[in-house]
Amino acid sequence: MKNKKKIFSKFYVLLCLVFFYLPILVTMIFSFNSSKSLTRFTGFSFRWYSELINNVEVTKAVYVSLTVAILATLISTVLGTVTAIGLSKSKKVVKELLLNVNNIPILNPEIVTAIGLMLLFSSLGMRKGYLTMLLAHIAFCTPYVITSVYPKVRSLDPNMANAAMDLGATPYQALTKVIVPMIKEGVFAGALLAFTMSFDDFVISYFVSGNGVKNISIVVYNMTKRINPTINALSTIVIVVIILVLILANVIPRLKARSLKINKKAERAIAMVLILLLAAGLVKCGSVSQSSHVLKVYNAGEYIDLNLLDEFEKKFHCSIVYETFESNEMMYTKLSSGETYDVLVPSDYMIERLIKEEYLQALDWNLIPNAKNLLPQVKNKSYDPGNRYSCPYFWGTVGILYDKTVVDAEDLKDGWNLLSNPKYKGNIYMYDSERDSFMIALKALGYSMNTTDENEIQEAYEWLIHQRDTMEPIYAGDDVIDNMISGNKAMAVVYSGDASYIISENPNLGYFTPEEGTNLWYDAMVITKDCNEVDLAHEFINFMLDEESALSNTQEVGYTSTVESAFETMKDSDYKGIDSYIPKDDNPNSEIFAYQKPNIKQKYAELWTKVKAK
Amino acid sequence: MKQFKHLIKPYIVWSVILIVIPLLLIALYAFTEEGNEVLTLSFTWGNFAKFLEATYLNVILKSFKLGLITTFICLLLGYPLAFIISRFSERVQSTLILMVTIPMWINMLLRTYAWMNLLADNGIINHLLSFLGISPVTMMYTDFSVILGLICNFMPFMIIPIHTSLNKMDKSLIEAAYDLGANKVQTFVKVIWKLSIPGVVNGIMMVFLLSISTFVIPKLLGGGQYMLIGNLIESQFISVGDWNFGSAISLILAVIILIFMSLMKKMDKQDE
Repeated sequence: MKNKKKIFSKFYVLLCLVFFYLPILVTMIFSFNSSKSLTRFTGFSFRWYSELINNVEVTKAVYVSLTVAILATLISTVLGTVTAIGLSKSKKVVKELLLNVNNIPILNPEIVTAIGLMLLFSSLGMRKGYLTMLLAHIAFCTPYVITSVYPKVRSLDPNMANAAMDLGATPYQALTKVIVPMIKEGVFAGALLAFTMSFDDFVISYFVSGNGVKNISIVVYNMTKRINPTINALSTIVIVVIILVLILANVIPRLKARSLKINKKAERAIAMVLILLLAAGLVKCGSVSQSSHVLKVYNAGEYIDLNLLDEFEKKFHCSIVYETFESNEMMYTKLSSGETYDVLVPSDYMIERLIKEEYLQALDWNLIPNAKNLLPQVKNKSYDPGNRYSCPYFWGTVGILYDKTVVDAEDLKDGWNLLSNPKYKGNIYMYDSERDSFMIALKALGYSMNTTDENEIQEAYEWLIHQRDTMEPIYAGDDVIDNMISGNKAMAVVYSGDASYIISENPNLGYFTPEEGTNLWYDAMVITKDCNEVDLAHEFINFMLDEESALSNTQEVGYTSTVESAFETMKDSDYKGIDSYIPKDDNPNSEIFAYQKPNIKQKYAELWTKVKAK
Repeated sequence: MKQFKHLIKPYIVWSVILIVIPLLLIALYAFTEEGNEVLTLSFTWGNFAKFLEATYLNVILKSFKLGLITTFICLLLGYPLAFIISRFSERVQSTLILMVTIPMWINMLLRTYAWMNLLADNGIINHLLSFLGISPVTMMYTDFSVILGLICNFMPFMIIPIHTSLNKMDKSLIEAAYDLGANKVQTFVKVIWKLSIPGVVNGIMMVFLLSISTFVIPKLLGGGQYMLIGNLIESQFISVGDWNFGSAISLILAVIILIFMSLMKKMDKQDE
């Protein structure tokens, strides 16, 4: 009976651990996969490990994550412990007040803390980067240290320290020799918690860092578009390192017992080496921008061939600080919170807004001789007549990607209403984007997608609500790419560039843009008003229009090039027969998104929230 | 001894700058209208009034429901685990607790992506099922997938405080209970459970807080239609760009949570 129980409890522990480690195990196994797929194991390879070593972005991020976590843990542990000890001796009012304030970061949703700190740093005019990230991490780690140390301090006999001092100890000695050793369990627990929180943090780091300083989470988040198994390789290494450290931690105490003295020296030596490493790293991080010319580029995630950046740096003896955003709105948020960049790559309607709000400076086309390479049909569009401010980068449409083996070719005649054909109930991915979803509804109803007519907007809203209730679609983000490659559902609303890539991976799929018209979009390079490197920024734009770089860029990203030769080459080689690579820009019903006035934008945003929040 | 009370001074300064001021900045946004210059601030209740619409109230209700379910399941699964762990020898205990902690060091986003691959319609679990001749099950983008993701990520926060309080417990009290004739159930209910309540309360608070304000996990595992309060705040700041409304929701959430927590603390004290 007793044995049975023991076996049962052991089994339960095992089961729980399997549950915790299952996702990690999957990550580890697929880091050895020879292909990009994360669901099908195609063969064993070290491909992602070699890519990891060559990926400067990831190695830098590992460094930032580690040093920030270590420094934040050290500082917050000291600060928290000292405060906890002080608290136990303070007046009740002070104590209660400080403890309550201390609870705020723990109780507040992370995003609130993040926004608060972001507002603080921008109103102080601090340059976002390593220091702001470190300060923020200390700010949210210290409360955890205090909450785990303070109960221990409270349970101490208050006479202890007095006794020590009566026996001739200085207050400092009483603190370090008597109190701290007695509460070390709590200190250790607090430090561990702080390290865990800091190492894994995403939300706060995302909002408070900038200027190219990224931790692992930020890099991972930006990789979502096309899940990149190098990050699996990274987490496998992290796990292996942790296990090694644990084994060492178990072995060292035993060795220590044998040779206590030597070990103390060794411990100090290790600590010294660690500090030196940290210091060296800090200097290195601080001097990223040592070369005289630095260009700050802000682009959408996974939207460039990163090798081009290296090439550009070498050619022009400068360094590029490259950052990525998830959406135009996110870019705008960062920009309006005081972040500065030299070159941005936003979309049409956002460019219109940036021009209106005077964020941009006019381009000097004399400095961009490669402009002659541009396709004629991408120039001079409504968002920036005469291309005074913007130089086209990629372009395309929004359409429906469908599984030819599931969707009847006949049904395609329905146009956008295909998305509310009950035959495909529960088999649809919509795109989680307010403007594109309303575009679909408005086009299906035969209206302009830039309408400001309240009744038309209301009708479109009802179309979306009806579609939601009858079709039960999933409003997916970039995960749609992986989902469609594995053929999880029959159809999805996607951007043409993503469609090209998905079709090249899963030839069962087709792409079409309904006759009712669609969103014809252009992403373009612009230079900001506070750009410090105007000449270099123009060189960068010129470089991206170079025939060779444009070709490798479109090959890597899969979106349609605005450079004529690259466009023609791709059309006839890599993406031969893939319609989505050639945007249908001759449909008179198709439009380009226009700038929305704040009250209209608000209206759409509110309705979209209501569509999603069932 | 009195000297020690000065030790809190650095943190008072620190917390005013990095905790109180940011919060005040948020409050300032919550009570003002968009596009204010510092000199022409105009105050409004509008951001709060807007929140009273049914849609937004539903969002907060749904978040609470999900938070409570997650917390409950974490307690249901986590307590026995913490209890079993506390019965092992010291060495095994610390190893097991470490094993519970380690997954938290692996990036939360990465673990969530892994779940996405496991649960997808054509994912690993369904591949295995079809191998066994069972027809595939839709798991992604459902309550199931979201709750599973939340539990996997947050259960350690339940286990660790409960384990700490079980471990701290004076074992002789349990023996005393047996000596005094209590049976296993009685001992558990009257002694072990009672003494572990501080840990349970801590665990509940941690898990509830984390699961009510998360936005990454529901977004990835539940899809865009899985709108929780965290997502609502995030979208106000990131995609809608209405910082004022976003700040107002944050403030409302913060107040609700503070009330909830002080209630929990009261319960905790009464039990003592």
